[in-house]
Amino acid sequence: MGWRGTIALLFVGLLVSGLAGAFAYFLPVALLAYAQTGQATRDTSASPSPSAGSAAGSPFTVLLMGSDDDSKFASDAVLTQSMILVRITPATRHVTMLSIPRDLYVPLASGGEAKIDAAYSYGQAPEAVATVERNFDVHVDYWVWVGLRGLVRLIDYLGGVDVTTSNPVLDDFYPADLENADPYAYKRVLVLPGPQHLDGVHAMEYVRSRHGDIQEDFGRSQRQQQVLLALKVKARAVNPVDLPGVLASFNGEFKTSMNLGDFARIRSLLSLASQINDPSQIEQIVLVPPYTSNAVIDGADVLIANWAAIRPLVRQYFS
Amino acid sequence: MSLRRWSAPKALALVAITAAWLAAGVGVYLALGAHRATVAAGASRPGEEPAVAGPLQRLPGTLYLVQNGTLYRLQHGSFTPLLTARGTASWTMPAVSPNGQSLVVVRRDYAYSDLYLVDTNGHTQAQLTHDASGTVELNHWAMYPKIGADGSTLWFSYDPKDVYSSYNVVMAVWSMPLGGTASQMREWTIPHDYTGGDVQPVPLPSGAGVIYTKYALETAENRIMGQLWLSNRAGTAGVALTPPDDDCSQPALSPDGRRVAMICTGGKQLASIEVAAFDGRTLGPRQVVVSGQLAAQPTWSPDGQSLVYLAAEGITGHFQLWRQEVPPSPPIPSDVPTPIPTRPATPPPGAQVGSPTPSVSTAQAVPTPTPIPPPPPVKLTTNLDFDATSTIAWHV
Repeated sequence: MGWRGTIALLFVGLLVSGLAGAFAYFLPVALLAYAQTGQATRDTSASPSPSAGSAAGSPFTVLLMGSDDDSKFASDAVLTQSMILVRITPATRHVTMLSIPRDLYVPLASGGEAKIDAAYSYGQAPEAVATVERNFDVHVDYWVWVGLRGLVRLIDYLGGVDVTTSNPVLDDFYPADLENADPYAYKRVLVLPGPQHLDGVHAMEYVRSRHGDIQEDFGRSQRQQQVLLALKVKARAVNPVDLPGVLASFNGEFKTSMNLGDFARIRSLLSLASQINDPSQIEQIVLVPPYTSNAVIDGADVLIANWAAIRPLVRQYFS
Repeated sequence: MSLRRWSAPKALALVAITAAWLAAGVGVYLALGAHRATVAAGASRPGEEPAVAGPLQRLPGTLYLVQNGTLYRLQHGSFTPLLTARGTASWTMPAVSPNGQSLVVVRRDYAYSDLYLVDTNGHTQAQLTHDASGTVELNHWAMYPKIGADGSTLWFSYDPKDVYSSYNVVMAVWSMPLGGTASQMREWTIPHDYTGGDVQPVPLPSGAGVIYTKYALETAENRIMGQLWLSNRAGTAGVALTPPDDDCSQPALSPDGRRVAMICTGGKQLASIEVAAFDGRTLGPRQVVVSGQLAAQPTWSPDGQSLVYLAAEGITGHFQLWRQEVPPSPPIPSDVPTPIPTRPATPPPGAQVGSPTPSVSTAQAVPTPTPIPPPPPVKLTTNLDFDATSTIAWHV
């Protein structure tokens, strides 16, 4: 082999080796992308998907779900403690967040009626998405599911979040399931009011506590949206090379229908998040009365939806 | 293969090429890792870095601040740890006595907190409350201590138990003689149920009352918000000092007792620092002295000319210490009536939401633009991470 051949071999080798280094770096993302993509949502909506956000600038809707995933439940049959519909319009950089009350009593896509938080337990994300789509007459382009510990780890990975907590959050019966083998153990929680830097555990306490809130689950929904927005602020500094660390932090407590291997799309989403800075660009909706009303069905406290009021609202913000 | 083809130079070249390949792979891996965001960058401990001449060194007197559960004393630009966090216990919310000789500090543990009297070197003189219990829901929180101008009355927030609903855990403002017993505790305020209650008491220098933050459901916004109140008699509602939808909290009374600093958020995520004249009964027009920051814990300088406060900085979100000169406050207009309570002290029985809220006087409802813009705030620390939920104490 002549010098030319040697030099060519050197450069080809460098290229292959560099690619191997990059592959090794992104391997966790690739593995998760392989494991999680292709879990297509069951499209039961009346209208077809508006391009599922595939074209640059097309609005898209994401259903965010969070679950207690401790040993009270089988791992594939957890309830969703939190469901938030998020509509993102890249062209106007407008975001709308609508919290779906977990006690909303609805027909499930799989049949029968129950609180909407049970939909996931009957068929995981596709069932939950289908139930939301049918009842709210909305098309969900993507879904994201995060377990309790996953959210705590994510917030810690990002170095905590800055939140102005609305009021003192006191709860003498807060679940101690993250630090205790007994899934029914409880502990006292006090999250102090005002601006502060919250780590994962304390952010979780702030968004999960519900016993001491005069607005009950509605108050909790507001707090969840607050922390979600604080996470968005952190996302402004995150770039695709952070993905392996972010995904490793979830430690398996993360599922999505998004294609995580599509780095160009991930990059554009992160860029979009960094451009949404003005609070007036963010609409936060919680379905307080008159959108819902209290009722008791089979001895359980539930919320009855006022669909005549909710669906026009959803059409206004999610179509 | 002949040995001649693998001469030393060629073997060396092969080794070099192999090394270059390996270096390229490892280098790309490390280069990608080096470009990760620095959102989770850790902070230094106060005192870890040597004090440098600057505005921090020029702060007069002694300040007490908390980072990561440890209480620090700041003098002449140098931090000294006084009380260190251990296990599940942490120290927070220092309050200095009028003579500056002692502090009351909160020792917070897993399920309860207690107040301790310590000297200025952090040596414990007395445990003032005993809030621990073996039964989870029978523990108590004691928070936000303040020592009255007489030096002998202790004010704090404390969660009594609701005998009708164990879910209703709210704090109220209490007082007791410094060094007194639990039987001498006196409940001053009547908190709203399921709101978090009444916190952050600030006793008036005259001893004739206390300013505090009351949390209540603001029906127009459908969220719980803070409001400054003044109570002159134990067990009474008192009068509101700020409108409910301004979401004001963390009151701080100037050393002469004639101005109140506070943070107001309007229900948003940013918190401005506002200052208003105070005549013992009502607030004058509020001036915004710090805006556009996530600001917390305004604390008056001993001369009453400036405030220090904590504000989040950069993408790490760590709270640093800042100082802001405060221009003179406009006087309270003589025709401003004393505000009336903006809502009943307790919600109507069975009510899920609070009652409609009449607004307070216009002079208070709209913060008046500052006649003379204050100078920009000065950042005093870098790369620290103070606890923004902990009050700051400052004494000459």
